[in-house]
Amino acid sequence: MQQNDIKIKEVQFANAILLPEIIKMLEEGHTVTLRLRGFSMRPFLEDNRDKAIITKAKDVKVGDAVLAEVAPKHYVLHRIVKIEGDHVTLRGDGNLAEEHCKIEDVKGFVVGFYRKGRTKLDKTNGMKWVVYSWIWTRLYPIRRYLLAIYRRIWLRFFKPI
Amino acid sequence: MKAKKGFNLRTVCGEQIIVAEGEENIDFCNIISMNESSAYLWKEIANKDFTTKDLVDLLLERYDVAKETAMVDAKQLAAQWIKAGIVEE
Repeated sequence: MQQNDIKIKEVQFANAILLPEIIKMLEEGHTVTLRLRGFSMRPFLEDNRDKAIITKAKDVKVGDAVLAEVAPKHYVLHRIVKIEGDHVTLRGDGNLAEEHCKIEDVKGFVVGFYRKGRTKLDKTNGMKWVVYSWIWTRLYPIRRYLLAIYRRIWLRFFKPI
Repeated sequence: MKAKKGFNLRTVCGEQIIVAEGEENIDFCNIISMNESSAYLWKEIANKDFTTKDLVDLLLERYDVAKETAMVDAKQLAAQWIKAGIVEE
């Protein structure tokens, strides 16, 4: 007897293959919704839980969350921490290390995040993100300790923020 | 039956996938992967009303398969498409 079930399994594409296609769509004028992977944008965003809506990058500034190609076929969705001329420095909120690229390598701009499975968008021009960004970027001097405490203590007992 | 608007077949990394495309937004969290025959049928019925019989005829045209098998497969596929929300009755 045959079953008429829909199979839902996760299809994963490697970034190096998927993201160029996504960028093509951004260039065509679409916005794209993507699921986020990795811990590099903690604490606001968690691995495999949240989604971002991305649009084509235009006039990006320091503090923006962007999709950038930081090395050939190597993409990150991180925050811009410095712009000097056409030299851009990025750092994920959950990272201590930086990446560098040119302004034309910044391909996408995050309009908002769908966090924790909600259908309400946390816009990057909204209060929540702006206040969080202001606080979190200023805590950079002690970020290493905050992240360690978060990882080793908070996440042991509580759910991610 | 007819394919719902906003579901377009794209080739991504060698796979044929249906992506939900709104006016502007393309949702990659909501994709349906199609095998070769399903993608072929999807392309053929684009923008027109079709019945299960149409799918059967298309299958028989392209594949060397018995009519009964084609009928069962076509019926199952149409049901899956409706269930996945990409086709309306």
